[in-house]
Amino acid sequence: MPIAGVTSNTVPSELLRAAGFFPLMLNPPRGPAAYADHFMEVGVFSARIRGIFHGITAGLWPFLKLVIIPRTSEQEHKLYLYLREIARQGLGKSVPEVYLYNLLHSRSAETEEYGFERTRDLKKHLEQLAGRSIEAADLARCVCESNQARVAIRSLLNLREGTEPRLRGTEALSLIGAAYFMDHAAYAQLAAEAGAEMEERPPARGARLLIKGTPLHHTGLHQAIESHGAVVVAEDDWWGSRCLGEPIAADADMVRSIFDAYYRGTSGPRAFPPEMADKWFFEAAAKADGVVFYLPPEDDVLGWDYPALRAALAQRGIPSLLVREDAAEGLSSECHQKIEEFVSKIPVRS
Amino acid sequence: MAEKQLQCTAAAIEHQKAWFAQLRRDVFENQKPYAIVQADTPLELFQTMDVPVVSNQWWAALISAKRLSPAYLDAMNTRGFHEGLCRYCSLPMASTLCGDVAPAPWGGLPRPALLSARLTCDCIQRVLAIWAEAFGAEFLPLDAPAAAELPPKWWELSRYRWSELFEEHRLQFMVAQFHKLIAKLERITGRAFDLERLRCLMEGVNRQEEYFEEVRGLICAAPQTPVRMQEQISNVMAAQWLRGSEWAIAHARRFRNEVKARVTNGVAACPAERLRIMWVGAGLWHDMEFYTAFEAEYGAVFVWSMYLAFGPDGYIRYGLDDPLKALASRTVSMNEQLHNPPWANEWIVEQAKLHRADAALVLTPLGTRPSATGNRFIELALERAGIPVLPIFADMVDARTWDALEMRRKVARFLNERVVRRTIE
Ligand code: SF4
Ligand code: SF4
Repeated sequence: MPIAGVTSNTVPSELLRAAGFFPLMLNPPRGPAAYADHFMEVGVFSARIRGIFHGITAGLWPFLKLVIIPRTSEQEHKLYLYLREIARQGLGKSVPEVYLYNLLHSRSAETEEYGFERTRDLKKHLEQLAGRSIEAADLARCVCESNQARVAIRSLLNLREGTEPRLRGTEALSLIGAAYFMDHAAYAQLAAEAGAEMEERPPARGARLLIKGTPLHHTGLHQAIESHGAVVVAEDDWWGSRCLGEPIAADADMVRSIFDAYYRGTSGPRAFPPEMADKWFFEAAAKADGVVFYLPPEDDVLGWDYPALRAALAQRGIPSLLVREDAAEGLSSECHQKIEEFVSKIPVRS
Repeated sequence: MAEKQLQCTAAAIEHQKAWFAQLRRDVFENQKPYAIVQADTPLELFQTMDVPVVSNQWWAALISAKRLSPAYLDAMNTRGFHEGLCRYCSLPMASTLCGDVAPAPWGGLPRPALLSARLTCDCIQRVLAIWAEAFGAEFLPLDAPAAAELPPKWWELSRYRWSELFEEHRLQFMVAQFHKLIAKLERITGRAFDLERLRCLMEGVNRQEEYFEEVRGLICAAPQTPVRMQEQISNVMAAQWLRGSEWAIAHARRFRNEVKARVTNGVAACPAERLRIMWVGAGLWHDMEFYTAFEAEYGAVFVWSMYLAFGPDGYIRYGLDDPLKALASRTVSMNEQLHNPPWANEWIVEQAKLHRADAALVLTPLGTRPSATGNRFIELALERAGIPVLPIFADMVDARTWDALEMRRKVARFLNERVVRRTIE
């Protein structure tokens, strides 16, 4: 099965699967990224995007037939352009075909129409690559499988809700994020089994915290927080609580329903207007005992939201803490101490 | 600040001051609407509707030139906006939010009727939304699909074959958004949009840019540059913010005439010119003296910045049957030609050759995301074309991290080691 790399959650995996591709979330380990050092400007790209650029350019994933990059962040657009330039100038190892999926995230009738058309273009492109058309039945099957994965994730998320969560954030992040790397039908089954097992556990005790900030594709922050006796019960993040989103409606026009789910349901830095972007956050915050804002040094987006969100939480009587270190690198002892103090002062709601 | 060599430079600066004072009077005394917009929005639509615009980047440069940025930026950090956030487009917003720490230039910005931006970087929607809220004004975003197809040598297609240069769906989408913006402007002004007027204005923009093209040609061909880069910027940008207006066209003509006369009379900006330097990137607004600092010792003159050179290639659109679509083609691409590979690297090398550049200083701005991109490809391409490059890491509006003396030393070292020796050889 040909493998197509994707760079974030806004590429419709159902279309890829229906065309016979295996969609794989590109998530490079941290480490030296020589090609990124050479071609990417300092302070502009996140470590993850730099890692992806390096991985592709250095030929670390020779099995990739295709890479689909959505217009979900400006960094991803630049990644697309840089990869094309590397290929054009022959500066890297063999770079696979890169395709830009121009999905926009502001809400308007024009944007919606534009995104739908681009989704149809993506389908056509995949059909060309596959050498066959994507039939309605293919789509229905793939949507059905991914919906099973969504239901399974929902049941894992349920285990994190309420005053007696059964699942710690560190475990949850790994269990949920696995959906990006597995066959969805198989994932659904394994996740359901894991959920059933965990239901029997005694509840996790401690302050129930929500994380908001730079997406966490690693468990560094969750581990750090939970090592101080708190439980991370949600994260406003596509690697965690907002992975895959709500099930896709089984409508007559499946491409439309798939597009709708990705256009409306996914979180991302370009979601606009802010009231819409923040809705999920405030609902989740209302159910938690406190919020940890995570803005590592590479953040250049959510920091704009932070002062207003912090003030809004204070108004609602929800305590919050700001972490500015990079949790993937391990937090400093001062930062651990801050977390410890924060957690110890939180009145746990029951 | 080095003395102004051209009369029209002083006239440009005076005009901007008077224009802004009039804008304030109109807003405060006559309740006339005006708008604050990002530089890469369709200013032409506002012009057509007689809604004056203040460009965010222009205001940022002004705040920075008045050396007010450290006070505002420190105050932003105190309010909880962390120091890693981008400072370019947000500085004017900071001057509104933190107006209490220092009075803004020229009396400050009054409340606009509208703020607008193309959603390029991920941050801009936030910056403008915060700003709009502080003003109690409306923010209208223009979403920005990304460019996927970038044909080679864009400047050869941009004038006549612009509809081939940009993906059709991007143009159509931009036009659809223009209609929304127009409807908003109609509501604000109570007047109907006149397509003919836009067409005339677009023709005016062409004429203005043709004058700039002549100036660019004069700089390329003259034995020594007749006009320093800083003065090019002052004259060009004063007209670009009002592009297509009678004043802007007349000013461009005047600028052309004065430069032409200087060339005819053999007047050089720096008679000791021996080295021609390119400045790639936005201006160092807080230290404009930097650009004349290497003339005395090295005869090194800054001859090129994008501000003049981009006008003709980036703005001229011939074939105005559908002026909205032509305007869309100007709008969708702005900043892409300057920051996206391969467009930026190809064009800069072409410009370097035309301008007989001996060296280039490439600014990688710290804390300003999009104008930091594409730079490594630009540097590689220039070096490959035989033009030595010195990368400069600095913030164009934030003076807090700029070590003026050390920077001058660094450039001097670069000139000595990589440029002077080479030109002697
Ligand atoms: S340059 Fe981009 S990232 Fe920087 S302030 Fe402007 S819009 Fe934001
Ligand atoms: S030069 Fe670059 S950073 Fe400056 S306004 Fe234009 S596109 Fe933006």
